[in-house]
Amino acid sequence: MQKKLENLKKEILDQLNQAKDSAWLKNVEQKYFSRQGELSQVLKNIKDLSEDARKEAGQLANQMKQEVTERYNEVRNALEGSKNKSETIDPTLPGSDQNRGHLHPLSQTQKQLEDIFTSLGFSILDGPELESEYYNFEAINIPADHPARDMQDTFYVGEKDQPGKMNLVLRTHTSSVQVRSLEKYGAPLKGIIPGRVFRSEATDVRHEHTFLQMEGIIVDKNINFNHLKGLLELVGQKLYGPQTKLRLRPKFYPFVEPGANGEYTCFLCQGKGCKLCKHTGWLEIVGCGMIHPEVLRAGGINPDEYTGFAFGFGLNRLTMLQYGIDDIRLFNSGDLRFLEQF
Amino acid sequence: MLLSINWLQEFLSLKGITPETIASELTLHTVEVEKIERPGDRFKNVVVGQVLSVEKHPNADRLQITTVNVGAETLRIVCGAPNVAVGQLVPVALVGAILPNGLEIKEAEVRGEKSSGMICAADELGLGQDHSGIMVLEKAKIGQNFADYLKSDDVILEVDNKSLSHRSDLWGHYGLARELSALLDIKLKPYSRTSELTPENNPAETLNIKVEDAKLCPRYLAIKLEGIEVAESPKWLKDRLMAVGQKPINNIVDAANYIMLELGQPLHTFDAKNIKKIVVRCAKKNEELLCLDGQERKLNSDTLLITDGKDPIAIAGIIGGQNSAINPETTAIIIESANFQASSIRKSSQNLALRTEASMRFEKSLDPQLTDLALKAVVSLIKELVPSAKISSELNIQSTPLPETKTIVMPWAWLRNLMGVEMEKKEIKKILNHLGFEISEESKEALTVIVPSWRAAKDVAIKEDIAEEIMRIYGYNNFPGELPESKMALPEDNLARALEWQIKDALSLDAKLFEVYNYSFVNETDLEKANLNTQGYLRLANPISQQHTLLRQNLVVNLLGNIKTNQYKYDEIGIFEIGSIFQDLPGDFYETKNKEERLPYQEKKLGIMLAGNNAGELFAKLKSIITRLIGHISQDQWEVIFVPTDLTPGYADSKMRAIIKVDHKELGLIAKIADLVQKNNGLKKMVVCAELSLNQILKLKESTAAKTYRENSKYPPVVRDLAFVVSQKILYNDLYQEIKNFNSLIANVELFDVYEGTNLAAGQKSLAFHVNYQDQTRTLTSEEIDTLQAELIKRLQDKFEAVLRDF
Repeated sequence: MQKKLENLKKEILDQLNQAKDSAWLKNVEQKYFSRQGELSQVLKNIKDLSEDARKEAGQLANQMKQEVTERYNEVRNALEGSKNKSETIDPTLPGSDQNRGHLHPLSQTQKQLEDIFTSLGFSILDGPELESEYYNFEAINIPADHPARDMQDTFYVGEKDQPGKMNLVLRTHTSSVQVRSLEKYGAPLKGIIPGRVFRSEATDVRHEHTFLQMEGIIVDKNINFNHLKGLLELVGQKLYGPQTKLRLRPKFYPFVEPGANGEYTCFLCQGKGCKLCKHTGWLEIVGCGMIHPEVLRAGGINPDEYTGFAFGFGLNRLTMLQYGIDDIRLFNSGDLRFLEQF
Repeated sequence: MLLSINWLQEFLSLKGITPETIASELTLHTVEVEKIERPGDRFKNVVVGQVLSVEKHPNADRLQITTVNVGAETLRIVCGAPNVAVGQLVPVALVGAILPNGLEIKEAEVRGEKSSGMICAADELGLGQDHSGIMVLEKAKIGQNFADYLKSDDVILEVDNKSLSHRSDLWGHYGLARELSALLDIKLKPYSRTSELTPENNPAETLNIKVEDAKLCPRYLAIKLEGIEVAESPKWLKDRLMAVGQKPINNIVDAANYIMLELGQPLHTFDAKNIKKIVVRCAKKNEELLCLDGQERKLNSDTLLITDGKDPIAIAGIIGGQNSAINPETTAIIIESANFQASSIRKSSQNLALRTEASMRFEKSLDPQLTDLALKAVVSLIKELVPSAKISSELNIQSTPLPETKTIVMPWAWLRNLMGVEMEKKEIKKILNHLGFEISEESKEALTVIVPSWRAAKDVAIKEDIAEEIMRIYGYNNFPGELPESKMALPEDNLARALEWQIKDALSLDAKLFEVYNYSFVNETDLEKANLNTQGYLRLANPISQQHTLLRQNLVVNLLGNIKTNQYKYDEIGIFEIGSIFQDLPGDFYETKNKEERLPYQEKKLGIMLAGNNAGELFAKLKSIITRLIGHISQDQWEVIFVPTDLTPGYADSKMRAIIKVDHKELGLIAKIADLVQKNNGLKKMVVCAELSLNQILKLKESTAAKTYRENSKYPPVVRDLAFVVSQKILYNDLYQEIKNFNSLIANVELFDVYEGTNLAAGQKSLAFHVNYQDQTRTLTSEEIDTLQAELIKRLQDKFEAVLRDF
């Protein structure tokens, strides 16, 4: 039996080695591998052997079958492969379609911030871009003779100061949504307000009349200035890495008291000082402060019972810093060569 | 604003404290210091030279060729100043110097003549605005560094004016010294420059002064001095003024400016010769004044004037007139120390496009009581400069009652809660004392604080303001930071925002479009080019460019602009935008909570635009993008159909256009851009667009039941292909709906071929469908499908005159 198996193996391998085309191979397959083929027949005969002989022959037969089948597959693959025009395949060729779509870089920044704040339990709030003078100014403690209300800073819509008609402005900040939100949801409230804002300003590489801001507001019992510091530092670490520190400097905004300017450790030089941070080690990123009691009152909240803080990011500035964009006008340029980089 | 550290030293001792420390303390606690400037830095490579010769330039009438001895060498310098003369000692910027205005001095040829350096005017050295001629120096040594000549060991800090806008008390050196005393815990010296204001003539003159508008001028102090001798100011005074960028003029004007820079109160001095009385009133129509800067200015009726009863002699709080200017012949002066309404000065200064040192201070709301202090100070200084000067009139005060003293109660516990950290009471009281806040009462519960008049004028009114003082001097950076504890609560849903992101993801990831942001504005020309009516748009009252005058009512107009910008750089373009549109109709938002009036209508829209070479293909591609988008949003619960329409905007092609509908609800419009509009806009490509309402999609979403899983049938489908020949007027969608809804056993219908052409009669088309029969509970038999199909064919024949086509 052993001899028989050895001979058959040799015979099959010989036949396979001589195979020049698939017709030959087909014959080999018919002769040895098919149900009625010689290999199958030999294997069938094994079961008629004595128990000891059967065990030995079985092992040998399996080994032999595996060997010739592998060789058969090799030969078949080689023959079929040769049908292709070239002998080799270049796996480094590009895929069929390289194009992809692009989200606007400002959208990407906005999403990043929305995700950070919603993960902290903030709601995403909205308000109108075309706003009443009341919500944009008065409600947040910007009095009638404040310079921000001049026509040289704010876009007014329709004729201004018509008797019996309200003055309409394109909101100059997302802070305009503060009082609307307090009126609608009351306290406690934790929300962010990303959105488009407008300033009546001639444009150049550093100035835009249309840009994106993101306001944040927390109103609750026992909210304090130390919390503002803690939260904004956390956000900075999320944006720029765990080593990031927050530095606060006094800054006046009519709708907060006290008010501050928040600077984060420059992410490019880790605070050592470089061109990006003008060698200060700090990047001015966020305006913030404790919400002015008049603003809470305007929103129907009792400032003796509740306190809160507010903060605002300029999304254009964040995005420019992140990617080293040097002309703010690119964002609204519709230039696809700019947009396809993001 | 420029601050001299030497000047500050008059009011507190800064020994051993570096300018860097002062700058950083101010920046972190009070106002931003933008620059620290040492005169040595500013005047590197600027030396004193002596003019040896002056000759006319051969090729230019106004230029001269000079030789100048600068000690180490003699330079040949071309000079344009009219006052250059032999023997003068002058500041010379050597080659390599960089002047404060940024000018770098290089070897140059001026009209063919070599020039190695520059003789400087005061403004070129950042020492005031004088450009009338070169600076002529006294008691200077040839070759001496100009910084050494100025003999200034002074360091100048440049403070950001914007960060001072709420702090009128910081617009003088004394106020900043007070702030530093709190920051550095150093005692502030009392202000000592003062004089009695009692007349020294007998009998004393009584000035005739009338303030017509007390609201615009709440306080007006005037006094007359005689025995005046106008002369150049002494060097110490000129140096100090120049150090902070103020041009010296003469001893009287310089004295007034000096006190302004010291106390923050602008003062004005008039030559008293022709002034019999003073009337403070608003300008009349067509009034004009020749101002001190040589310009004739037209005044409008909002502008407050100082007049002599007839003609203006100064624009209140902004600039003086030449008719009453101090001049070499002046022997008597009237000094004005007044308080003007901040907003009125700001508006006038804006209307005149003139901001002066005085107007910048008045528009910050000054303390009315500062007028007294400043008047005493300036009289004292003038008498020091001109020993013969004598007060010759009674002090004249025209004033509304001074504001009452403000007292604020600040509970200790409240402060602690606001800060979130505990501060020692002693520390708190020390900070307040340094800043001039008096403590009138202290109890276990609260501190009662009297606000000093210079802080009450503008920025301190409530206990939060007091808290700010304490917190910022304590230092925001001494707060350790802590996260607020809060109850867990679900954020409010923002379905609109969620939809926006869903759309943005689908269009950028699946449809491979570019997201663009456009301005919210359009203009008449662009509307006309898009064949749209220009009426009914909301208009900006104060546009800053002709490009941006109207609020957009659609996204398409600006998207067309994007195609034009990019059309030569790309074969195919696919872009989208989500943005607000505005209409002059009542919208959803109210003007205020309590008012009925509504803001104009505004909503967010989705605009998509494709550009390429084949309109038909683009139109089909855009439909497929929209179909996939709606499928994505609804998880295939909605079926989009495109319904022909005649009511479309002017930019739409008259044939290739349709309403986008789901379940009878209009979501928007899809259209090819009309040829005319394409041409008007200079577009070289075919363009198709769609605009969808996010509100409509949201409404549809709200009314759609939750998606449920449907088990796939265990029984095999039977697919039959049917082609129908129909008139070209028959719409695919009608045929499709008829087949799809014909019987519940028809699980799916798919169009696979549309044919018009040679094998068909004119006006006919063939539509071929895969019709998929399937049942959830059993295998269908050929016989029942045959029967059903026969009925279907009959129905289509009856309804659409459809004829089954043989393959």
